[in-house]
Amino acid sequence: MTWRFPGLTRRAFLKAGGYGGAGLTLLKPISLLGKQHSDPPDGEEEISHSICNFCSSLCNLRVTSRTRNGVKRIVKLDGNPHSTLNRGKICARGQSGLRQTYDPDRLKTPLIRIEGSKRGEWAFRQATWEEAWQYIADRQQQAEIKPYEWTMVGGWTSCVFYMNWAVPFAMANEVPNIIASPMQHCVTTGHLGTDMVTGNFNIHDEVLPDYDNAKYILFIANNASIGAVSTCRMVRFATGRKRGAKVVALDPRCSETASKADEWLSIRPGTDLDFMLAMLKEMMEQGYYDALFLKRHSNMPFLIYKDEEGEWHLALDAEGRPQVVAEGSREVHVLPAYSNHNESDIDGQPVNAALTAPEGLEVDGKAVVTVFQAQLAELDGFTPEWAAKTTGIEAETIRRIAFEFGTTRPAIVDPGWHGARFQNMMMLRRVQAMIQMLTGGIDKKGGWIMSGEFHHKAARMIHAQRGEHEAGPPMVSLAGMPFAKFVIGAVSKGENFSHGRPGWAWAFSAQEAAAGREHVALPVMADTGLKESVEGKLEFNGEPYKTRAFLINAANPVRHYYPDQRWKDILGHQDVELVIAVDVLPADTTAWADVILPNSSYLERDEPTLYGNGVNHDLAVTTRYAAIDPLYDTEEITDILLRMTRIISGNEAKFLEWVEKLTGLSAAAVEERYAKKREEMEHGAFAAACREVSFAETARRLHTTPEAIDSELRVKGVMMEEEREHILAHAGMPWKLPLPSESGRVEFFSPLFHMLRSGGAKQPNFSPLATRVVAECRPGTPMDKPLQTDEFYFTYGKTPTVSYASTNSNNPVLAAINKFREPIYAGVWIHPDRAEPLGIQTGDSLKLTNTATGQSTGGTAYITRMVRRDTLFIYSSFGSENKALTRAYGIGTATSKLIPYRVEPVVAGFRSQEFTLKVSKTGGAA
Amino acid sequence: MDINMTFATQEIWTWWIAVYLYLGGLGAATLVVTFLTDMYLKPHRDLVLWGAFSGIVMLGLGSLMLFIHLLDHRAVLNVLNPLVLIRHPHAWIAWGTQFIIWMMWWGLFYALPYMIDSPQLNRIPLLRRLLKAGFIAKLSGRCCLRFHKTIGWLATINGIGVAVYTGLLLQSFPAVALWHNPGVPLLFTVSAFSTAMAFLLLILGIVIKREEDRPIRVFYERTDVMLIAAELVILFSFFHYMSAGSESAMHSAKLLWSDMGWLIGFIGFGLIVPFFLELRCVLRGSRGHAPVMLAAVLVLFGGYLLRHYFLAAGVYAFPW
Amino acid sequence: MTRYAMVIDLNTCVGCNACMAACAMENQTPVWKNEWRTYVHDQEIGTGEDVLRRFFPRLCNHCDNPPCLSVCPTGATYKLDNGIVKVDEDLCMGCRACAMACPYDARMEVTWDDVEKGKAFYGSDYRRERPSMDKCTFCDHRVEKGQKPACVETCVGSARMFGDLHDPNDPVAQLVASGVARPLLPHLGTKPNIYYIGDVKRRG
Ligand SMILES: Nc1nc2c(c(=O)[nH]1)N[C@H]1C(S)=C(S)[C@@H](COP(=O)(O)OP(=O)(O)OC[C@H]3O[C@@H](n4cnc5c(=O)[nH]c(N)nc54)[C@H](O)[C@@H]3O)O[C@H]1N2
Ligand SMILES: Nc1nc2c(c(=O)[nH]1)N[C@H]1C(S)=C(S)[C@@H](COP(=O)(O)OP(=O)(O)OC[C@H]3O[C@@H](n4cnc5c(=O)[nH]c(N)nc54)[C@H](O)[C@@H]3O)O[C@H]1N2
Ligand code: SF4
Ligand code: SF4
Ligand code: SF4
Ligand code: SF4
Ligand code: SF4
Ligand SMILES: [Mo]
Repeated sequence: MTWRFPGLTRRAFLKAGGYGGAGLTLLKPISLLGKQHSDPPDGEEEISHSICNFCSSLCNLRVTSRTRNGVKRIVKLDGNPHSTLNRGKICARGQSGLRQTYDPDRLKTPLIRIEGSKRGEWAFRQATWEEAWQYIADRQQQAEIKPYEWTMVGGWTSCVFYMNWAVPFAMANEVPNIIASPMQHCVTTGHLGTDMVTGNFNIHDEVLPDYDNAKYILFIANNASIGAVSTCRMVRFATGRKRGAKVVALDPRCSETASKADEWLSIRPGTDLDFMLAMLKEMMEQGYYDALFLKRHSNMPFLIYKDEEGEWHLALDAEGRPQVVAEGSREVHVLPAYSNHNESDIDGQPVNAALTAPEGLEVDGKAVVTVFQAQLAELDGFTPEWAAKTTGIEAETIRRIAFEFGTTRPAIVDPGWHGARFQNMMMLRRVQAMIQMLTGGIDKKGGWIMSGEFHHKAARMIHAQRGEHEAGPPMVSLAGMPFAKFVIGAVSKGENFSHGRPGWAWAFSAQEAAAGREHVALPVMADTGLKESVEGKLEFNGEPYKTRAFLINAANPVRHYYPDQRWKDILGHQDVELVIAVDVLPADTTAWADVILPNSSYLERDEPTLYGNGVNHDLAVTTRYAAIDPLYDTEEITDILLRMTRIISGNEAKFLEWVEKLTGLSAAAVEERYAKKREEMEHGAFAAACREVSFAETARRLHTTPEAIDSELRVKGVMMEEEREHILAHAGMPWKLPLPSESGRVEFFSPLFHMLRSGGAKQPNFSPLATRVVAECRPGTPMDKPLQTDEFYFTYGKTPTVSYASTNSNNPVLAAINKFREPIYAGVWIHPDRAEPLGIQTGDSLKLTNTATGQSTGGTAYITRMVRRDTLFIYSSFGSENKALTRAYGIGTATSKLIPYRVEPVVAGFRSQEFTLKVSKTGGAA
Repeated sequence: MDINMTFATQEIWTWWIAVYLYLGGLGAATLVVTFLTDMYLKPHRDLVLWGAFSGIVMLGLGSLMLFIHLLDHRAVLNVLNPLVLIRHPHAWIAWGTQFIIWMMWWGLFYALPYMIDSPQLNRIPLLRRLLKAGFIAKLSGRCCLRFHKTIGWLATINGIGVAVYTGLLLQSFPAVALWHNPGVPLLFTVSAFSTAMAFLLLILGIVIKREEDRPIRVFYERTDVMLIAAELVILFSFFHYMSAGSESAMHSAKLLWSDMGWLIGFIGFGLIVPFFLELRCVLRGSRGHAPVMLAAVLVLFGGYLLRHYFLAAGVYAFPW
Repeated sequence: MTRYAMVIDLNTCVGCNACMAACAMENQTPVWKNEWRTYVHDQEIGTGEDVLRRFFPRLCNHCDNPPCLSVCPTGATYKLDNGIVKVDEDLCMGCRACAMACPYDARMEVTWDDVEKGKAFYGSDYRRERPSMDKCTFCDHRVEKGQKPACVETCVGSARMFGDLHDPNDPVAQLVASGVARPLLPHLGTKPNIYYIGDVKRRG
C-alpha cells in the first residue's frame, strides 16, 4: 500500500462512511460528546477605525471587535484598506497592538508612592483619581512650586496627538519648560539638517519619498524608518523594488533594510558624511545635476562673498534681497527676497541666473562668486580617494554610486530619520538633502514628496502672507521653518511670561555662553541645563532657576535619554518635590514618579480632535474611534492637562483661551460642550467636548456637516480631501509655491546657520555651506586608525518588533517573537574574526565598557558576519528594569547604560555613538 | 533558488514510542511463536499460557504508552472503532491499533481451553469461579476448541500484522530517509521475532524448565541465530544505503555509526555477542543453559535499543 | 475548481514578523510557548565577505499529497476540495504521527494546558475547546469571505501573495507557471503549494 490513498477529501470521507453506513452513526456519539464540528457562531462583529500608536508612521487601523458571551472584545487589528498611507498593511507592532490594552501589567488605577519609600523603588499604593489630584494639589501648595519650576516631558505621541493642548497648557500656566522626546534624537538633530535645505519642519517630518516610482534608491543609516519598519515607507519601497529599482544601503551592519539592497556598503560608523561630501563634489564636478532646476529654484546662483575672517556672506542688496548674475554676462540682477524661483528680478525682468559667475565679478566692491562655486571651493580635497580612507569604501565604488545616482532619474537618497549618534549627523542629513536637490527630485514623481497636510498648511500660510486671507492661529497655519521659529520664540523669550523667564534650557545656554563655555545654540525642547537646574547650578538674572516638579506624559526618559543614571539622579533628587508620570504601562520612568496617572489605551480613546493623515501624499483627515470602553479607571490626556491647570495656575479659562489662540478651537464652544459632557461622563469629558467642536469646525472648513464627517469616518476611517496629483499641480514646492525656507528656494547656503555663525558660533557644525564635521569616537584619533584588539565602534538600531526601548517589548505577542529571535535581537553583534581572538562565542555573556567614561553593562554575544569587523551592534530596544513589566524585564542590553551625556552644539543632539567600547567575556554560553 | 538546509532530529516521538514499538513487536511475535509451536511443533499448554499472557500484557503496556502520550484521550475512540480501517486504510496506526486489539482477543480465545484445565490458574479463587462459569465453558468448548486452529491462525496473522506494522509506521514518514524505506518493516519484523525467541527461551529455561522441551529450545535457538544473522545482514545493507545518497540518510548514518550506544550497545552486545553465544550452543550443543539465558537477555535489551536509536537518529532536512 | 497556493518573494521580505503576529491574533495560537503557525527564519548565508541576510517565511505547504493526512488514523487531518489541509479539533487524538510525517515542520501541539492558557489569554473570544494538533489553515475562514489570509493581508513587503493556481489570470498562478517561484523539497513527492522567489541573484 502506498502512503498516498486516492481522493481523501472531506467529501470522499463522508462517502466512505456512506457505504459503511454504520460508520457515521458509530462516529456520531463521539463527536456529540464535544461541540459540533462547525466553529462556534462568530458572535457579533463590529468594525471601527483608529490610528496606530507605536511609531510615527501613524498607520490607519481597522479594528475588529467581537461580542461573545456578552463580552465585547477587540479581536484583531488590520491596516485600514481605505488608507492610502499604509495601504491596508501594518507591522508586527501594529498587529500586536491590541495586546497592550489587554496586558495584565497595565496601569489600572492612579498610583501614589508609599510614604517613606524612595523614588525608583516601585512602591505604590492604588488610589482614586480624587486622592491622586488631592495629593498633587497638596504637594503643589506645600512646596509652593512656581510655574517655571515645572518641567513637562512629552513623548512623541504627546507631540503628535496632543501638541494642540500641551503648548497652550505651557503658555496658559506659564511653564516655559518642555522636553519633547523626539527632538534630540531625530526631529531637530536629524531632520533639521534636511530642513535647512528644504525649509520643512514638523514633528517626525513631512517628507515621504516616492519609492513607488524611483529607479534608484540610496539608503544612509536607515532601517527602522524603512524596512524595520515604518509601514507607510516600506509598502512603497517594496513596490519600487518589485518594479526593479536599484537599491544601495550604507550601514555598518546588514540591517533588515540593507538585506533588501542590491548593494550593502558596510561603511565605517560616523564616516557617512565623508562619503556624501565626496559624492556631492563628484556630482557637482561631473555635472550630474539638473542645472535648470538649480538655476531656477535653488539659491545656488545667489552671489556670495568672503569677508576678511574668511566667513561667507550672501551679497544682498540694500533691502537684503539676493542678487544673481545673468548667464553669459556680467549683469547682476536683484531677486525678490522670498519667491519660489529666480526667473525674474524685482523689476519683473526675466533672468537666466548663472551657476558660475565670470572671473573677477564684483558687487559693491566685493569679489563675488555663486553659492555653487563657493560650495565647490568648500569641498576642495574631499575626493573619493580621500573618503575611501575613512569610510573603508573603495574610491571607485563611491565614484560609481555618484555616477549612478546622478544619472539615474528618478533617484532617491532617503532623508534619514534617527538623527542622534554623531555630531556630524545634522550635516550628513543636510548633504543628503543637497544631493537630492541636485537631481531636482522634490515634489516630483519618484522623488521626495512632501505630505498633503504640509502642502495644505504651507499653501495656507503663503496665501496669507500674500494677504489673500487672514493668517489664522499659528499651530494650524504655520508650516516648516516659520513653525519652528514660532515654537522657539514661544519658550525662549522671557517676555512671553509674567515671571519673565525663558525655558531653563535657554537660560542655561545663555549662562554657559556668558561663561565662555561650549553651549547649545538652539536647545529646542532639549534637556540641556535640566540637571544643572535641578541641582541649583543654574541662575537667571542673578536668581537661582530651579526645577522642582515634573509632568511626564508618554515619555520614558530613563530608557530613552542618555545616560539612564542622569535621569535617575534628576528625578530622584531631594529638591525635586513632585514627579507625575502619565502612562499606560509601568515603564522604567514611572518607577521614579510620586504619582502615576493611568491613561486609556489608544484603542479605548475617542481622540479630542481630527488629525491630518501623517506623511501621506494625499490630503485626508482621520482620527481615533474607541473600539471598547476603557477597561480600567483611566483618564484622557486633555482632561489631565485641564485638571493640572486648575492645580498649577487655577486658570482653566486661560487654558481654553490659549487653545483657541494657538489652534483656533473655539473656547466658548468647548466650554459650553464641556459643561454638558461633565454631567454625562466621569472621564474624558473635556476630550469629548473638544472632539465635538473640532468636528464642527472641520465640517465648516470642508463645507459639510459634523455628522457627514462622522459617518464617513465610521465607514472608512479616513476622509480624503485632495489627492496627491491635484495637490502637486497647484502646491508643488518649489515648482508652484515657494518652500517655507528663508528665501522660498532650495537652500544650499543656509541663512539660519549664517545667522548663528555671525552670532559667534564658529564650529564647523554651523557652517552655512556643506563642510566636514568629524565624529570623535576617540578624541584626537581619526576614525581610520586601528582599534585595540578588544575595542569596537558602537552602533545601535531599532528592532522591527519594538518601539524605541518602549513598553511594547512587554507585549506578549512581541515578547514571544523577540524570544523566537532572541540571539539576534537581544544579542551583541560581533564579527567572528574579532570574536575568535577574544575567545567569544554566540551565547557568551559579555561585559561592555565605554572606554571614554567607564560606563559599563552586560550583554550576550551574537557572532555574525553581518557586522563590520571594527563595529559592534546592539538593537536599542531592550534592557527594561522595572520588574512590573513582567515580560520585558531583564532582557537584552540597555543602550542608555553605555551612552554618556554628550551633545552637539546646534540643538543638543545626542552624540550617542561617539565613543568606543571594550568587550570582555564574563561567562560561557548558557 | 538556492536553498539552505538545517538538519534536525525530532523530539516528538521519544522513548515512550520506542517502548510502544518494542513491546508491540515483542508481544505480538511472542504470541505468534507460542501458538505456532503449539499447533505444529508440540502442543504445550504452559507455553501457550505464558506466551499468551505475557504477550497480551506486553501489547497492553505498549499501547498504554501510546495512549498516555496522546493529547486528547477521548478521541482515541476514533481509532478503536473498527470502521477506521475503511475510512483511513492508509493510516498505519489505524491498522496497528486494530491488529493489537484483535490479536489480544484471539490470543485470549486460543488460550481459554488451556486456562480452564490449568491447575495453577484454578488455584486462584476468583479466576477459578470465572473459569467454572457455564458460558465460559460453552465459549471454550463450542468455539475455541472447535475452531482452535482457525483462531490460532487469526491470532498469528494479527500478530505478524502488528510486528510488521511497527516498521511500516516509521516507514510512512517520508521526510526521514532512515525511516522511509522498505528495510524498516523487514528489520523490525525480524527483530520482533528474534526478541520473541529470546523471551521464550527465558520462559522455557527459567520458568517452565522441562527436559522434554529441549527440541523446542534447540529449535528456538537455531531460529534465533538465523534471525540475528538476518538482522546483521539487513543492518549492513542499511549502513551502505545510508552512507551515500540523501543528506538526511547520511546525517542519520553519522549519528548512528558514531554512537557507542548503537555500535557497542546494540550491534555489539545486542546482536554479535548473543549471536556467537547461541551459535556456540547450536554447534557444540549447550552445556547448561547459562550462556543461552545471557544471550536471550542481551537480545531483548538490544531489541529495545534498536527502536530507541532508530527514533532518535531520524534526521529531517528543514529548508530556509 | 480552485487550488489555493502562496508565492513568497524573498526579495521583499524584510523579516518584520508582522505575519507571525497577524497569524497569532487571527488564529489564536499559543504565543505563550513561542510556537507559530508561520514563522520567519533570519539567516546569514553566503561565503566569506559575500554575506547575505535572508528572511525566510515558513508555513504549512498545503501539500497536494500530504503525508500528514495519510498517516492520520482518526481522519482529523483532512483536505478541502480547494486543497486546504486542515485538522479537525474534535477528531484529533494527538498522536502526533502527522507531525512526524510532515517534512516542513508545519505542525504544533495544543495541549489541555494550552487550552486553559488560551481561555485566559484570548478571553471571551477564545474558540478552541479541546487540545489537538494545530497548523496553518490558509485562513480558510477569511478566504471563504473573499478576504486574504491574515499574514498575506498585512505583509508590509507584499512578499506573500495568495491566489488560485487553477485560474490562469491569477498573478500567483502565472508566477508559478513561469517557474520563477519554486516549492520546497519537491523531490519528496508531497506536491507542496507554497512557492518561493529566490533572492540570491540580487547580489552584487
Ligand atoms: N534606548 C533607546 N532610546 C531611544 C530610541 C531607541 O531606539 N532606543 N529611539 C529614540 C527616538 S528616535 C525617539 S523618537 C524617542 C521616542 O521616545 P518616547 O517618545 O519616549 O517613545 P515611546 O516609547 O513611544 O513613549 C514613551 C512612553 O509612552 C508610553 N505610552 C505608550 N502608549 C501610551 C498611551 O497611549 N498614553 C500614554 N500616556 N503613554 C503611552 C509607553 O509606555 C512609554 O513608556 O526615543 C529615543 N530614544
Ligand atoms: N520598529 C520600529 N520602527 C520605528 C520606530 C521604532 O521605535 N521601532 N520608531 C520610528 C522613529 S521615531 C524613528 S526616529 C525611526 C528611526 O529609523 P532609523 O533612522 O532607520 O533608525 P534605526 O533603525 O535606529 O537605525 C538605522 C540604521 O542605522 C545604522 N547605523 C548606525 N550607525 C550608523 C552609521 O554610522 N552609519 C550608517 N550608515 N548607519 C549606521 C544601524 O545599524 C541601523 O541599521 O524609526 C521609526 N520606525
Ligand atoms: S509602522 Fe507599525 S508601529 Fe508604526 S504606526 Fe505603522 S503599524 Fe504602527
Ligand atoms: S510580513 Fe511579509 S515582509 Fe514581514 S516578515 Fe512576514 S513575509 Fe516578510
Ligand atoms: S506541509 Fe506538512 S502539514 Fe502541511 S500539508 Fe504538507 S505535510 Fe501536511
Ligand atoms: S495528531 Fe491528530 S491530526 Fe495528527 S495524526 Fe494524530 S490524530 Fe491525526
Ligand atoms: S494563512 Fe492564515 S493560518 Fe496560515 S500562516 Fe497565514 S495567517 Fe496563519
Ligand atoms: Mo524618532
